[in-house]
Amino acid sequence: MNDDVLGKAYDARLVRRLGSFVWPYRSLVSLSLLLLAATSAVQLTQPYLLKVAIDRFIGERRVQGFLVPVALYLLTLLSEFVLGFAQLYSLERTGQNVVLDIRKRVFAHIQRLPSSFFDATPVGRLMTRVTTDVESLNEAFTSGLVLILADLVKLAAIVVILLVMDWRLALVTFAIVPPMLLASWFVRIRVRDAYRRIRTLVARLNAFLQENVSGMRLVQLFLRERDHALEFEGLNREHRDAQLSGVFYESVFSAVAEFVGSVALAAIVWAGGSRLLDGAITFGTLVAFIEYAGRFFRPLQELSQRYTIMQAAMASSERIFALLDTPPSIVSPAAPHRIAGRLRGEIAFERVTFAYREGFPVLHDVSFRIRPGERVAVVGWTGSGKSTLIRLLVRLYDVQHGSVRLDGVDVREYDLHDLRRAVGVVLQDHFLFAGSVGANISLGDETIPPERVRRAAEAVGASEFLERLPRGFEEPVRERGSNFSVGEKQLLSFARALAFDPAVLVLDEATSSVDPAAEARIQSALEAILRGRTSIVIAHRLATIRSADRILVLHHGRLTEEGTHEELLRVPGGIYRALHALQSAPG
Amino acid sequence: MLRPFLEFARPYRGAYALGLVHLVLTNALSLAIPWLLGDAIRAMERGAEPELLAKYAGAMLLLALVQAWVRTLSRLRILGASRQIVYDMRNRFFAQLQRLDARFYDSQRTGDIMSRGVNDLQLLQSFYGPGVMNLLNTAIVYLAVLVLLLRIDAPLTFLAVSLFPLLYLAVNRLSKRVYARSLAVQEQLALISNRAQENLSGIQQVKIFAQEEREIRAFAELCAEFRLRNLSLARIRGAMVSLIGLASGLGTIVVLAVGGSHVIQGRIGFGDFVAYNAYLALLAWPTVALGWIVNVFQRGAGAMERLQEILRAAPAVPSPDVAPGAEIEPLDGDIEIRGLSFTYSGDGDPGRGRYSLENVSLSIPRGSRVALVGAVGSGKSTLVNLLARVYPAPAGTIFLGGVDINELPVERLRRSIGYVPQEAFLFSRSLRDNIALGNPGASDEEISRALGLSHLEGDLDLLPEGLATVVGERGFTLSGGQRQRATLARAALRAPRILILDDSLSSVDADTEKAILEELARQREGRTLLLISHRLSTLAGVDRIVVLERGRIVEDGTHAELLARGGLYARLFRRHLLEERLDAR
Repeated sequence: MNDDVLGKAYDARLVRRLGSFVWPYRSLVSLSLLLLAATSAVQLTQPYLLKVAIDRFIGERRVQGFLVPVALYLLTLLSEFVLGFAQLYSLERTGQNVVLDIRKRVFAHIQRLPSSFFDATPVGRLMTRVTTDVESLNEAFTSGLVLILADLVKLAAIVVILLVMDWRLALVTFAIVPPMLLASWFVRIRVRDAYRRIRTLVARLNAFLQENVSGMRLVQLFLRERDHALEFEGLNREHRDAQLSGVFYESVFSAVAEFVGSVALAAIVWAGGSRLLDGAITFGTLVAFIEYAGRFFRPLQELSQRYTIMQAAMASSERIFALLDTPPSIVSPAAPHRIAGRLRGEIAFERVTFAYREGFPVLHDVSFRIRPGERVAVVGWTGSGKSTLIRLLVRLYDVQHGSVRLDGVDVREYDLHDLRRAVGVVLQDHFLFAGSVGANISLGDETIPPERVRRAAEAVGASEFLERLPRGFEEPVRERGSNFSVGEKQLLSFARALAFDPAVLVLDEATSSVDPAAEARIQSALEAILRGRTSIVIAHRLATIRSADRILVLHHGRLTEEGTHEELLRVPGGIYRALHALQSAPG
Repeated sequence: MLRPFLEFARPYRGAYALGLVHLVLTNALSLAIPWLLGDAIRAMERGAEPELLAKYAGAMLLLALVQAWVRTLSRLRILGASRQIVYDMRNRFFAQLQRLDARFYDSQRTGDIMSRGVNDLQLLQSFYGPGVMNLLNTAIVYLAVLVLLLRIDAPLTFLAVSLFPLLYLAVNRLSKRVYARSLAVQEQLALISNRAQENLSGIQQVKIFAQEEREIRAFAELCAEFRLRNLSLARIRGAMVSLIGLASGLGTIVVLAVGGSHVIQGRIGFGDFVAYNAYLALLAWPTVALGWIVNVFQRGAGAMERLQEILRAAPAVPSPDVAPGAEIEPLDGDIEIRGLSFTYSGDGDPGRGRYSLENVSLSIPRGSRVALVGAVGSGKSTLVNLLARVYPAPAGTIFLGGVDINELPVERLRRSIGYVPQEAFLFSRSLRDNIALGNPGASDEEISRALGLSHLEGDLDLLPEGLATVVGERGFTLSGGQRQRATLARAALRAPRILILDDSLSSVDADTEKAILEELARQREGRTLLLISHRLSTLAGVDRIVVLERGRIVEDGTHAELLARGGLYARLFRRHLLEERLDAR
């Protein structure tokens, strides 16, 4: 879906769905509407009070009772102050409540979508849904729909008041509405287009700037300064020209707005003056007319701006609902198999075939069985399908043919949350979540006492560096775990696996590091976490492979060899033998 | 303080002067309208002819038209100048960024630099545009309106205007808080974005560890805080908007009460009363604007300060001034390093920081193929960075073709060196443009040779538009290996005398890396080749291996010699051969 297209400003189907989000706050919405009505009513009595003061007292040169309209006027001002504030606030509150709900809903829904969805959807697009699109809905609530309604009611009220006061003069005043409206809308649309263009160009300019700041070293090494400066100047110039055209239309627009007021004033002086001389209206009416006319034109000129806001909001809600309508395809079954206590730890892949993209299977008819407590190493080239085994076991993806069984039960029949909690996973890319170091080991699970977290850290040899941290286990993890080295992150994810003491552990071993001391540490940590459980290790180290009870060799998505190190070495023309031979070859 | 502001505005002083003239004119015209209104009312009071009223109305219309025209011109001049100024600033900013070197970029986060180039320039635009314009306008309106009001009714004027200082103070204080709170809202939104971004890029892990609920809770907390901050902003903004309405309304009341009684007492006429009211309305907006202007000026001053920090920064490595199309004679590829010590902390004081390189001496004759080997942090990358003058080397330590590199024109140096850095960075433009980054005029034949060398030809079919496919952050996503091979093609295309590969094929599979390196070695044509790779097995074809440990050269020799010596290299090599080759393809 294209993110830039603007369409309708009102779509009944979308508005109904949005309405379901507003419904919980209906009393707050009613209050806002009530306050809006009250504020408008108070505002509209002000010119009338002016008229009374002028006609009954100032015009008559009468002092007695003059303070009554003045005091009333003061009262309307104070109520307008209070009501206006309350109205602005309650409207904002409604918008914020609704937007909070929608944002949470969108985020929670995204969490439940299957991995295949993320393979096909860029992160940037999802970010737009969570941030910009939701914000534009907020704007629709606070400065869109409700205010359009309020403005229309206010306009209708002014029309009635003016007609009642003097319909001839009213008609003269209204006569200037169509041409003025036309003129200001004409300019407004250009202002809007200019700003849209500016936004696009600003985005391009900043993207260029950002990219050049990140890649400045290359720009300099490849002597591209002059060319990139010229390119930047070109973008900058385009942006400046768009800015200048924005300034132009904006200036014209404000001039037109000012001019409209003056035209109304002149019309009232001319037509109203004549009516006054005829004795048909009073001075007070004339002054009140001028005041009302001033309040009449402003909302008319703002309507087009509100229209644009609504357009953007409709487009955003369309995109948000499309996302919410994407079904989460990997979910717990209706009557899930719950996991209480510890699994035995028996794993079986039965004739498993799987493809990420239709027609390109990465696993062909793979079958194997792992006994409780057995340690199995999986080897093979990159792309042979090793990591896919892990993904299928924890149901990041579902198999297309065959089945994956854990303790004799198809993984698709387990409660999803239980399954993922029961199977321990250590990945090559040691991911740390936002939060404290301790919470990264216990994963926020309150059933894991701090003592166990501490022991797990100790067992993998992580306590040494954890104790050096200023806040120990409470040390916060910065974005993407940037305050920890790769080795430290690795130890933390080992500790995490150990703290959960899973019956089944899947481990994607990282390629060895250059630092021999770190190597030794990791090797002993590995021993600590693999002991006493069923494990599948996607192995890269010879030591790890040799210590396995059994080795599975995957080749082009097929299970080609199976056995112990010694057995496999004896297979003539075997893949494992070839892999092993490569190790000994001198380059 | 004021000097940088004036410096940038100087070229546009004519526009500002013209804008000022137009502002005076347009305000004079807009003041004449209430004057005419008062006259018209006085005429009505006298019971004048309708034709006279028509003349008044016509005159008002005409004045309004001219006034609107001149107002537009004044805005075009002043706001236009502000856009021009920011245009100049942005160009200067970018040019300065190009002059700054790696030291600067090491010490600054991209986000901070961007914030200066985006937010601060925006603040300065407000300063030079609406800020200056409203300041001038307010001054003019105040001067003129006060004079007129005083002429009509001096005591009334003092009363009505007495409220305005309060209004100014209130708006000034409130708008400061509005600004602070909207910053707080922006910050929270940034937190929400970061959190969502982090979650989405690690979604697999979130799922594997069944962390959805915790992530949702944490995200919801951030959003709840966002709501609170928004509401706190709404309160203060609502208070300001309502207060402005109240204050200008109070002015009307004073005029109504006091002016009204003056009319009743016969001290002023009704026409004066109406005109007076209209004048007072003209003051309300400039007063509000004044409260805002002061803040715009304060923020602008801060923005200018931050911008100047960048504009005043001095590069340690002077950037070349490349004359387009100038013929530059390439250096020959002899490299001579004598007693080189280097620390990133900037000075040679050994107490300050550990040396990244310590007393390194090395002589590499042209045409040879040398590999640099060592653990992470042993100084390999530092050494090649110094060769390419990404960081400045101490004088008298590095010589290319017999000349101290500090004495070589930077463009000559960089044209002779092809440097492929660790991080394969692609710009968001076509693959062809990325490869031809250093030689925009390269022929198709040259490009295809570079593609062949880096084994990229086969990948072209997989790209939606082949060489024309836009890649980089905002384009088609290439794999890590493809990106690295593209950056290699980029460097090879320049046919440099010295080619440096700084672990730049780590994501390419081992077979392909080996083939590429063999190809490079074969067609060297007097080219010096410097290799850094953690895959030691791919280095077997080089002439010589230099082993670094903690910034010092510990071993130097051929592959066979070093293996036979059984030192650090032999240890590293055995380990890698055994373990890396098993699976790294």
